[in-house]
Amino acid sequence: MKINVQPKEGLLVNAFLVMFFIHSVQTGVGIVGLPRIVYIAAKHDAWISVFLGGLFSAFVLAMIVLMLKKYESADLYGIQVDVFGKWLGNALNVFYMMYMTISFFVILMNYIEIIQVWIFPEMPTWQISLALILLTIYAVNGGIRIIVGVAFMSVLGTLWMVFILVVPMQYADPKNLLPLLNTDLKHIINGVYKTSLSLMGFELLMFLYPYVKDKKKIFMYTQIANLYTTVFFTAVTMVCITFFAENGLARTIWPVLSMFKIVRLPNLERFEFIAVSFWMLVILPNMCAYLWAASKGFNRIINWKQKKGIWIIGILVWGGSFFIKARYQMNELSDFVAHLGFLSAFCYPVLLSMLVLVKKWFLRRKKSSAEAS
Amino acid sequence: MFKRKSENKRSEDKKPHSLNVDDLKKELETAIGDCSDLNFRTINKNGKKIVYCFLSSLIDKTSFDEFLLSPVQQSTQNEWTTESLAQILPIAELSVANQLKEVVSSLIEGKSYIYIDGEPYGILANVGSTVERSLEKAETESLVYGPKISFTESLIGNLNIIRSNLKDPQLCMEDITIGKRVKTPGKLVYVKDIADEENVNTFRQRVTDLEYDYIPDTTVLGQLIEDNSWTIFPQIMSTELPDRVTLSLMRGRVAVLMDRSPSAIYGPTPFLSFFESTEDVYMRWNMGFFLRMLRIISIFLSVLLTPAYVAVLTYHYEVIPSALLISLGQSRANVPFPPVLEAILLEFVIELLREAGARLPTKVGQTMGIVGGIVIGQAAVQAGFTSNILIIIIALSALGSFTSPSYLMGTAIRMVRFPIIILAGIWGGIGIMFSFCFILVHLLRLTTIGRPYLTPIYPFRWKDLGYSIIKFPTQYLSYRPLTNRPVDKQLFPKHKGVEKKDVDE
Repeated sequence: MKINVQPKEGLLVNAFLVMFFIHSVQTGVGIVGLPRIVYIAAKHDAWISVFLGGLFSAFVLAMIVLMLKKYESADLYGIQVDVFGKWLGNALNVFYMMYMTISFFVILMNYIEIIQVWIFPEMPTWQISLALILLTIYAVNGGIRIIVGVAFMSVLGTLWMVFILVVPMQYADPKNLLPLLNTDLKHIINGVYKTSLSLMGFELLMFLYPYVKDKKKIFMYTQIANLYTTVFFTAVTMVCITFFAENGLARTIWPVLSMFKIVRLPNLERFEFIAVSFWMLVILPNMCAYLWAASKGFNRIINWKQKKGIWIIGILVWGGSFFIKARYQMNELSDFVAHLGFLSAFCYPVLLSMLVLVKKWFLRRKKSSAEAS
Repeated sequence: MFKRKSENKRSEDKKPHSLNVDDLKKELETAIGDCSDLNFRTINKNGKKIVYCFLSSLIDKTSFDEFLLSPVQQSTQNEWTTESLAQILPIAELSVANQLKEVVSSLIEGKSYIYIDGEPYGILANVGSTVERSLEKAETESLVYGPKISFTESLIGNLNIIRSNLKDPQLCMEDITIGKRVKTPGKLVYVKDIADEENVNTFRQRVTDLEYDYIPDTTVLGQLIEDNSWTIFPQIMSTELPDRVTLSLMRGRVAVLMDRSPSAIYGPTPFLSFFESTEDVYMRWNMGFFLRMLRIISIFLSVLLTPAYVAVLTYHYEVIPSALLISLGQSRANVPFPPVLEAILLEFVIELLREAGARLPTKVGQTMGIVGGIVIGQAAVQAGFTSNILIIIIALSALGSFTSPSYLMGTAIRMVRFPIIILAGIWGGIGIMFSFCFILVHLLRLTTIGRPYLTPIYPFRWKDLGYSIIKFPTQYLSYRPLTNRPVDKQLFPKHKGVEKKDVDE
């Protein structure tokens, strides 16, 4: 397997668009439930946890970019084979592919659950999952340019939701945030761990890297995207803490959607129908990106056509959607994926980048000593 | 065996016609004489026979008599060769030929073949006349402001109009033949140092590689060289206004014109250029900006309103404000159908009216419009067929879809509404969002002559926004749109646009 991927000139994406890609992949279904999960862990200092979580993900992003810059134009599949050798590297590649397939599955099922709770209680899961999976397959068949385009349009199309935050702020009580830093460090760290499920997604940069046009600017744009996501999540968490009562936030499963309920327009009464429908535009780039990266493994590892891999994963996921029937199953799955994601998206890239740095330094020393002698 | 046969055929093609005048006449008659109006006129000069062959329905009789017959009859030369004959004929376009196939095809084009007995070559003289109409106002695209003439069916006349509009020495008009069996002459028009080389090559290659029998019109040509023929969205713009073509040429696009076709096609045209009308250019920038916004919003609403009505009334009645709920409920109470069927039925009736109105002669058409619009609508409501509010919504969306300046895009918008209504009837608000996502992904996947369809939105070209969605004041638009990758980028020097004077200077 080739370590470096050299795509054709016409398939490359501008570095500017990487910003939108990273932000939209980070913002998915996680944010609707984020405030409650962090609040249970860190109480009213939850926003500090979210902010620290954002800083942590910025650090991990920096390590990822550092690692990717050491290679000419490789993605994660190539790097793992380079560092660990053929057999262990490919085994890790397959494991990463399975992780991304499960992430895709979890995002899809989370959104379907939201639809089933808020709009259509009797909609059968397999119908809407079939439609969404087919739409994702259609988008991924167009290639990475289309996926980055979907991410760009999704960020533009949902920009207005940021301004809706003003409405709950009118009913907010800032005293809910005080006393500051009352919780001890252990709980805040626990909160950071819980935030990680929502901030995940930036590890897809490792797959996007070969397709970017001017690779030198990636560092700046990814940090800007992560900063924007961090600030946005922190703001949402702060507004949730000040808006909801203390016990209420711990019992509202989707606080962000509940906050949409209070918006009143002159000729629309219940706004959350529109918000939940728009959420499809928010999760579509997430699903497309995960499916694209997972099916790329088929192409890189076994040399099958990527389209075949797309259909295989799509059918698998659709089959899996028949098995989740109850809320507790969804909970268990989300917790499992959160744990897996923390390891795969936060811890593992840091470890891998350190291994890559060591290896490259070693090779350089060997080469300079060979040249000297 | 097959190889020898094809060699035989090739040598047959290259055989010149017989050198005897009578044999030539017989050969031409076997080739095209039986079912056409082939005529001959033989003159004897100094013992040599000169024969004129022509198709009498294609030539201009006066110029034939004046410029071909009378110089020869009145000349007092002694030696009659092809060269001396060419010297005395006062015709601008003369060429020589001796292949039978070439002679036959030139006769069909309207030329006349003059052959002196025994000479190796004969002369082809262009005395063709074509029936054409004079310049008229544009019918399918009407403007309030700006030049109003439209193209006609004659290629020479259309080229004349474009050359007069655009007196640029770099304007290049390449000859291309369109069609394999019926070779219609066409022209590939572009400005040499503005249009991108790749665009021109793509156009040229696509048109010349076509193996199609007979292409009646440039719109058919546009369909054949499009990137994707399965989609409803057009990827090549076709217009009958010359100023639209010249505007696009100066922005770096490539146009194709064809004989006998009163419209021209040009490309590459991204999605937003289908919502541009030349009025936006001729009006001041604030008016142009306002009009363009109005157009885009009205088209967006026309796609959204009817499905929103269907979705809200079928599944999400909680969204309707309580003040409106009573009147909506009252008007819906009389209707026996679910909102989906009601909406589709009424949309169908509107499409019927529009299609019928396009076919009727103008005198009857106006009455039918009033009858259809008002009377049928009122009667339908009173019969309990539909509700009042739906009629208003459908009328607004129909009006909205007609604001599109391009007829092709307007039809596409109307077609797109039907699946969205059906999806809204099945899945409500989720269905509408699903169809929007699908259309978004579909538009992202389309390409127009190899360029992405949604520029300048995606890939994001900051400088081109001033041309497509928003309209900047002219002093800030010192560059041509980058989406066409023009070679010569500047329209005017940038500093001249934004010079500012101090107070009392």
